[in-house]
Amino acid sequence: MTESESKVVDLLAVFSDLAPAADAVEQLHAMGVHDDSMNVISGIPVTEAMLGRPRQWTNVPRIAMGGAILGMGAGIFLAYISPFLYAYPIQVSTQSFIPGPPTVVVLFELTMLGMLLSTFLGVFLDSFFPNYRPMKYVPEISDGKIAILVECTHVEEKKITDVLKKLGAESVKPAEAQHL
Amino acid sequence: MTDHKQHTEHSHEEHLREKHLMLDPLPRGKMNEMVMEAMTTPPTWKWWLVFSLLAAFVAWGLFYKWGVLIAKGQGEAGVMRPDYWGIFLVNTVFWIGISHAGTFISAILRVFKAEFRRPFTRAAELMTTFGLVQAGFSIFMHMGRVWLFYWLMPYPNQRLLWPNLHSPLTWDLLAITTYLLSSTMYLFLPLIPDVAMARDRSTGWRKNLYKILALGFRGTEGEWTHLRNAMSIFAFAIIPVMFSVHTIVSWDFAAATRPGWSSTIFGPYFIVGALHSGMGAAVVVLAVIRGTMKHMNYFVRGEHFDAIGKLMLIISMAWAYFFFNDYMVQWYGGDKWTQQLLHFHEAGPMGWMWFTMLITNIAIPWALLWNAKWRSNPWIVGFVGIAINVGMWFERYIIIPISVTINRMPFTWRMYTPGIEVPMGIGTVALFILLYMAASKLIPLIPVWEVQEGQMAHELKKFGRETVVSVSELE
Amino acid sequence: MIRPEEIKMSAEETGKWGMVINQDICTGCQACVAACAMENNITFVGEVDAGYGRSMHWIRIERFWEGEYPEVKMTPQQPMLCQQCGHAPCEPVCPAFATVHSQAEQLNLQVYNRCVGTRYCANNCPYQVRAFNWRDYQRPEPLPNQFNPDVTVRRMGVMEKCTFCIQRIHKAQDKAKSEGREVVDGEFTTACAQACPANAIVFGRVDNPESLVSQLAHKGHGVKHLEELGTLPNVTYFKGG
Repeated sequence: MTESESKVVDLLAVFSDLAPAADAVEQLHAMGVHDDSMNVISGIPVTEAMLGRPRQWTNVPRIAMGGAILGMGAGIFLAYISPFLYAYPIQVSTQSFIPGPPTVVVLFELTMLGMLLSTFLGVFLDSFFPNYRPMKYVPEISDGKIAILVECTHVEEKKITDVLKKLGAESVKPAEAQHL
Repeated sequence: MTDHKQHTEHSHEEHLREKHLMLDPLPRGKMNEMVMEAMTTPPTWKWWLVFSLLAAFVAWGLFYKWGVLIAKGQGEAGVMRPDYWGIFLVNTVFWIGISHAGTFISAILRVFKAEFRRPFTRAAELMTTFGLVQAGFSIFMHMGRVWLFYWLMPYPNQRLLWPNLHSPLTWDLLAITTYLLSSTMYLFLPLIPDVAMARDRSTGWRKNLYKILALGFRGTEGEWTHLRNAMSIFAFAIIPVMFSVHTIVSWDFAAATRPGWSSTIFGPYFIVGALHSGMGAAVVVLAVIRGTMKHMNYFVRGEHFDAIGKLMLIISMAWAYFFFNDYMVQWYGGDKWTQQLLHFHEAGPMGWMWFTMLITNIAIPWALLWNAKWRSNPWIVGFVGIAINVGMWFERYIIIPISVTINRMPFTWRMYTPGIEVPMGIGTVALFILLYMAASKLIPLIPVWEVQEGQMAHELKKFGRETVVSVSELE
Repeated sequence: MIRPEEIKMSAEETGKWGMVINQDICTGCQACVAACAMENNITFVGEVDAGYGRSMHWIRIERFWEGEYPEVKMTPQQPMLCQQCGHAPCEPVCPAFATVHSQAEQLNLQVYNRCVGTRYCANNCPYQVRAFNWRDYQRPEPLPNQFNPDVTVRRMGVMEKCTFCIQRIHKAQDKAKSEGREVVDGEFTTACAQACPANAIVFGRVDNPESLVSQLAHKGHGVKHLEELGTLPNVTYFKGG
């Protein structure tokens, strides 16, 4: 295998419908293209099951849970520890030094705040946002198209292009990273 | 015979498609174009006129008058003994109430998969964020020494003090901060794919703006998965946060020793009141968007006013139930101060406000929203929305300055006359509309991807001879 | 860092100041109101704001008519001041700890410098005895020449209220301590009690059964205002006796 033959290229095939895109994924599998060498970019959320792709791993729920625990920790600090940091004990009315029901309110709000902030942050971490580097993309995708990004060697390029075109791809071309 | 049947069958289908946005699909590219055009059409001179008038109101009513208030003290407002709380807090509760519509429409309807929500979730979420900004302004206006507001924040300080967690106001601060942050994030997440769409279709400064906002979103499988996971966590988690916010606002009153205030039903009563005014405001915003922006009559249709109108009617009934429950128990209790207060509400100098509240909050919605045809008319539903908001503002006015007039020390009874609160309150309304107008020109108001997703899920199906709407669950 | 043993509840503390007001001998002369204003550097609000309900007094004389005109009867004068509640509704609601319970004197303290002006305390006071500085009021001449150096002045946006002349309590305690003795009952009194020509106001330690104030307070027909709210007020009123 020469050097030019083993060079990896990315092909971007744009489909306007779900069914041909799913067929294309199936065909690519049959041709021995591994799922890791494929990516689907779409203008609407297309579930992995619709295209016969493996389930995407997401850390968002775990990050959210972690944030909830951190938030609750902040709540515990505020509710149970911060009163001990005053210069002297402060009493209001005859309420106990650490009031019971109000701590529930504090714990609830801070747990939720921690959870939601980290859910938001989780999207950024998992999706590598913000990311302003050049990326492989065509603007037609946000017109509701489904694009399949296939990583293949130079040798396979022609074959795959033909197969995808046959299955109804609007266009198949080598993808170029560009500023979005 | 068969011809005729086919004809009616056909027109029935036509009718369904005309009625439901979800059955009347356009290519995504076309919808993108429509939304982009609605957003990027240069404003007309009328738009600029309204915009500059509002800006002048904000500059004068909100900022100049606030400067006067800070320089000269709360004496500029109408507050005194015993009305220590006046219109500033009425406005705070009012704006927090308005902000509940966004979460209700966006989160509760998303959780329950109510399909009619799709085109206007963003419009409602914007109301939440902008409404909370006004609520924040209003509560800071109320403070006697607002320049020390940071003393209420929990942070290590040289005073060796932390906020008083016994105080409902501290809970308020925590809850409103949580709600403002989470509703802003919840507004932003579903916006990412739409600003990515706008980024792909714009040039110049807009391109740069959307490029930054879109964060490099392409729509890969991973990005969608993370986004959808986060959105469903938000949709579920923000509902209890929303309930907690208005419950805590109600505890500011319910935890006090005032006659008429120490009511255990205030929590749910306030939540329903908030939804009442919020839905009313949402429908007004939708009517204005539909009436003034290009292509919006495709996205926002009679069916949406009809659906929100139904919700408004149910919420109005729920509000009436809670109002009556609160009233009945207080009336029955026979505490002499409460009796006096109830009498003052109805027969006092501000009695007209109490009766107007009942008319606009109950009579008008019940009279106009029972009819499906009227309910589909933006003008009628919009009118009911305005009426409800007037009524809900009156309700808060009755609960705050009118109710504190009557206390257990009759020597101090005195009527409240608003002062600088009026221009400043108008200033918050102006700022709300101003922010909304600016947003309508800067971000796509319609979540196009959600509309397309919905249109993919809907189809007409035959059950025997009848053509019906059928929805597939895509998730 | 506060150690847990430092946190004591009010009931365990000693030192409880209280007041008895005899409405039968109160003439409504307002001498207490004037004396209180002088003693505590209370600002001068002026006609317009006072007329609108912003009068600043830590003590006021309330007076009502009973019945319908012309069959009216005047009720006894009722001096109303902070009742220094044991279970004060004003205290827990302040987000900034500007009004707290003093462990040593069993009084409600108002910490002016901590106040941010949310006015929740005043709203929650069933006796309506808190006064807010609605503006920075000007004191007309010659009032600026008679400030009491023992009492701080308050600025705009701050809540204030009766302190039971805490500066006098501390002065008397300091003096007694330097002389190595306890404070004697009647050694000092508050400005309002001192100024009252009819001796309608008596001030002292209610936790000392020998003191005049506790003897009067336990006479039997005294009432505490709005006791039904559970506020545990420290001021006892007499009338019709």
